[in-house]
Amino acid sequence: MKLPHYELIAEKTLRVYEFTSEGPKGQIPKLIKFSETALKGYYNLAFGDKNLKTGNIDDKVVSNNGDSEQVLATVVSAVYMFTETHSDVWVYATGSTKARTRLYRMGITKYIDEVKNDFYVFGQLEGEWEEFQKDIDYNAFVVRRK
Amino acid sequence: MKSIKELNDKKIPIVRIDNSLEKYLKMPIFQDKVDKANEALRTIGLPKITTK
Repeated sequence: MKLPHYELIAEKTLRVYEFTSEGPKGQIPKLIKFSETALKGYYNLAFGDKNLKTGNIDDKVVSNNGDSEQVLATVVSAVYMFTETHSDVWVYATGSTKARTRLYRMGITKYIDEVKNDFYVFGQLEGEWEEFQKDIDYNAFVVRRK
Repeated sequence: MKSIKELNDKKIPIVRIDNSLEKYLKMPIFQDKVDKANEALRTIGLPKITTK
């Protein structure tokens, strides 16, 4: 999957990344973080806009910079980097809103035939995990590198 | 050392290291999402991988 994506910078443990979205709204810095959870080897993936004045991160703002595909491709490339350098981890993700979760689902659907060569991909539906299938309104996702 | 072709085929991006991002490691950002991840783990656990 060779999609255009933004250049990533990261700290040395490769758990926090930053990139800059470019579009009609100008340059918007974004942060991706793989956070440890209560279980060793199980990480939460989240990303949001960085406020340059406060340094705070907002994952609910809708920046509408016309580059959502490129943003998602950049997040996917961070997942490849993270799972390449952290063996046997699970990466969990869900949107901060239902609309965002649906956007993530659409992104996975678009590339699933290629992504599943490299990852086990699961969707959460009605309190259970199942192998990701297209066109199902999952609540969350979890992946693991093959 | 891997060749350029091997690196490209692995789909791993080239990443520049900037240690100023280290401050975000300890910051409780996206805590509500982490809580959701923990809740999912607690209630439904992890998926089972079946090898075919």
